[in-house]
Amino acid sequence: MTDIQAEVAGPAAAKTASTRSDISRERFSISPLLYLAPAVVLLMVWTYIPLAEAFRLSFYQWNILPTSPQRFVGLTNYQRLLALPEMRNALWNTLYYTIGLFPMSVIIPLFVAIWTQDLGGRARTIYRAMIFVPMIIAPVVAAILWRWLLNEDQGLITLTLEGLGLGRIGFLTDPAYALPTLTWITGWKLIGFSTLLFSAANAGINPSYIEAARIDGASRWRIICDIRLPLLSPTILLLSMMTVLFGAQWSFAYINVLTNGGPLKSTTNIFYLLWEYGFQTLSAGWSSAAGMIAFAGFAVLAALCMWLTKRFAFYDN
Amino acid sequence: MLRRTTLKFTAAIAAVSLLPSGAFAQMPASVDKPVTISFYNYNLASASAGAEATKELIAGFEKKFPNIKIETVAVPSNEIMSRVQADIVAGKQPDVAQLVFRDLIYIASDLGANALEDMVDATELKDQFAGMIPQGLELGKVDGKTYGLAYTFSTPILFYNADLFKQAGLDPDKPPRTWDEVNADGKAIKEKTGKNGFFPGAYGPTDGTFVYQSIVMSNGGKVRDGNKLTFADKDAADAVKMLRNMVDSGAHAKIDPASASDTFAAGNMGMFLYTSALLSSVKKSAAGKFDLRLAPMPSFGDKPTAPTNSGSALFVFSRDPEKQRASYELLKYLTSKEAYTIITSKIGYLPLRLDIVDDPNYLGPWVKENPMFRANLKQLDHLTANIAFPGPNYRQVEKMMMDSVREAVFGSGDPVEALKAAQEQGQDLMP
Repeated sequence: MTDIQAEVAGPAAAKTASTRSDISRERFSISPLLYLAPAVVLLMVWTYIPLAEAFRLSFYQWNILPTSPQRFVGLTNYQRLLALPEMRNALWNTLYYTIGLFPMSVIIPLFVAIWTQDLGGRARTIYRAMIFVPMIIAPVVAAILWRWLLNEDQGLITLTLEGLGLGRIGFLTDPAYALPTLTWITGWKLIGFSTLLFSAANAGINPSYIEAARIDGASRWRIICDIRLPLLSPTILLLSMMTVLFGAQWSFAYINVLTNGGPLKSTTNIFYLLWEYGFQTLSAGWSSAAGMIAFAGFAVLAALCMWLTKRFAFYDN
Repeated sequence: MLRRTTLKFTAAIAAVSLLPSGAFAQMPASVDKPVTISFYNYNLASASAGAEATKELIAGFEKKFPNIKIETVAVPSNEIMSRVQADIVAGKQPDVAQLVFRDLIYIASDLGANALEDMVDATELKDQFAGMIPQGLELGKVDGKTYGLAYTFSTPILFYNADLFKQAGLDPDKPPRTWDEVNADGKAIKEKTGKNGFFPGAYGPTDGTFVYQSIVMSNGGKVRDGNKLTFADKDAADAVKMLRNMVDSGAHAKIDPASASDTFAAGNMGMFLYTSALLSSVKKSAAGKFDLRLAPMPSFGDKPTAPTNSGSALFVFSRDPEKQRASYELLKYLTSKEAYTIITSKIGYLPLRLDIVDDPNYLGPWVKENPMFRANLKQLDHLTANIAFPGPNYRQVEKMMMDSVREAVFGSGDPVEALKAAQEQGQDLMP
């Protein structure tokens, strides 16, 4: 990739240096703008205008009804939000979801992908299909199935645990268990997707490297450490970045169906909170302010992730 | 900014369409031309008996008024307000909507529902109201005007599982009458049978505030006094403390509040305080499994109970006189003797017309068959209105209150402190 960048950047840079006068002659050409227009318009309408609008609304008090006035309140929305214990709680929970998802969105799939690589043809397909199944179940259906499995009175899992003498656990009703439970359900749904990506990346590794390593007498473990993992690093970093940036969002459906943020706010995250402010309590200002706080936080994280990717990803030239 | 201009434009259009109905022509006396009206209804969105009965009612209406076609929109009760609001914003004004009482003030002041007194001729309205219980009519009034016509409404009632009572060595013919007895019985059920003792439908996402408010008001408390929040004041806080003590003693279950009715229906709970609207569906699941009985809601010692209304009223939003007439005919039909016979016997809501209870042509035979329903009817004479919150931030205030109640009942900290903190924060948002 570095080579490609160099190739693209090289001649272009040379051109700008040598033919500055050509460019000024072409300045009034409208066709490049026309080519760009559809994409720019879509980007504006769906991303940047709403973003600016949300930023503006975060300084107003408004109940989303066109007939009621939008009252300018300055920074009050932010002050109130930051003073609310539930906001801090939601931010912590967001962090918990993000970190808690890592094992299931990156580590386990990585191992599964590598180990299933060596399985024979049909067995590999069946095995991977089984892992991929959770991915194609609709989130709400998955949530309801888990609710049944974890039900305190007649849930299959609860009854099994009781049979083993572990007693009944209120997976969704005890604040101590609810957050790990929801993180697990979100992660369980992701394992398939990540495994698929890792398997694809793994299959793309040039087999001659591995042949060569084998001839040199490298053990299986050495091959994984020195060949597979470095060559998988772009995918690992991509999935890590996705987990950091979207992990907490993926849990939304399960929070909404299973706990509504409870018990005692233990499962609320920032995305659920801003949805609740916006559409349950009809407060555009609070919701936008919460959205802006989340946006700022994730923008910093995204920048950090980009930097890490550039720094550590290893590409096979 | 494209979006802002669009918003302003929508706002202007909506503002014009939300002018007081007095500015428009009086609605005609009858519907002569075919007209279609929309009806937003939450019973239709439920999986229980409510949907079937409502379909039957609408079919009956369309048969009686062949000119009027009803276009139904089914939305779950906790989402219906946002949906109505979103549709008004999008320029799709509903004609009639079934909405809950907690949003009453907002619907009247911000959402532009028509007051029946402005829309309907005074004598005609008087005829329609004749025979309805005055406490019921009072429920939908704001500043003396009827914005919502009480429709399907109910009071909290104690469902109990007589089999569990027997197993716990309690007398199933003597349901608890006071909260102390609920505590004792709940503890006995929990200890002897291992099943859940008691749970009120007061904390779940679709429960609103009516069960909680009726417990508070039975202890002489109130959630607000004018624009001052009072849910952390002594009487109100004591009621919540009572619930917390029951949680600590084990009598009050700790289950998922969203599925409390399922837990009861599955036979895993001794006592369940909730709207009688659930009667039909609970009866269906209990049939052949356990002995379901009903009792009036428990009291604090000798204090009288204050059963508040759950449920909904019908609101008319139409601007067009023709549609207003059609909507009003629908309102009239849905609150008629025939309609309440279906509503009460098939769903379990209270009849707004008490003269049909013993009338053999209407509810008479059904009440005879279901004597347990009388416990619910008896509560009607001290029906206390559920208190709605005012102001543009009413939903947030209500949410803060309910969050603090959950924290007080199930949390580990001091219950009164939790309520106090929320009251202080909420007071900031009151008008």
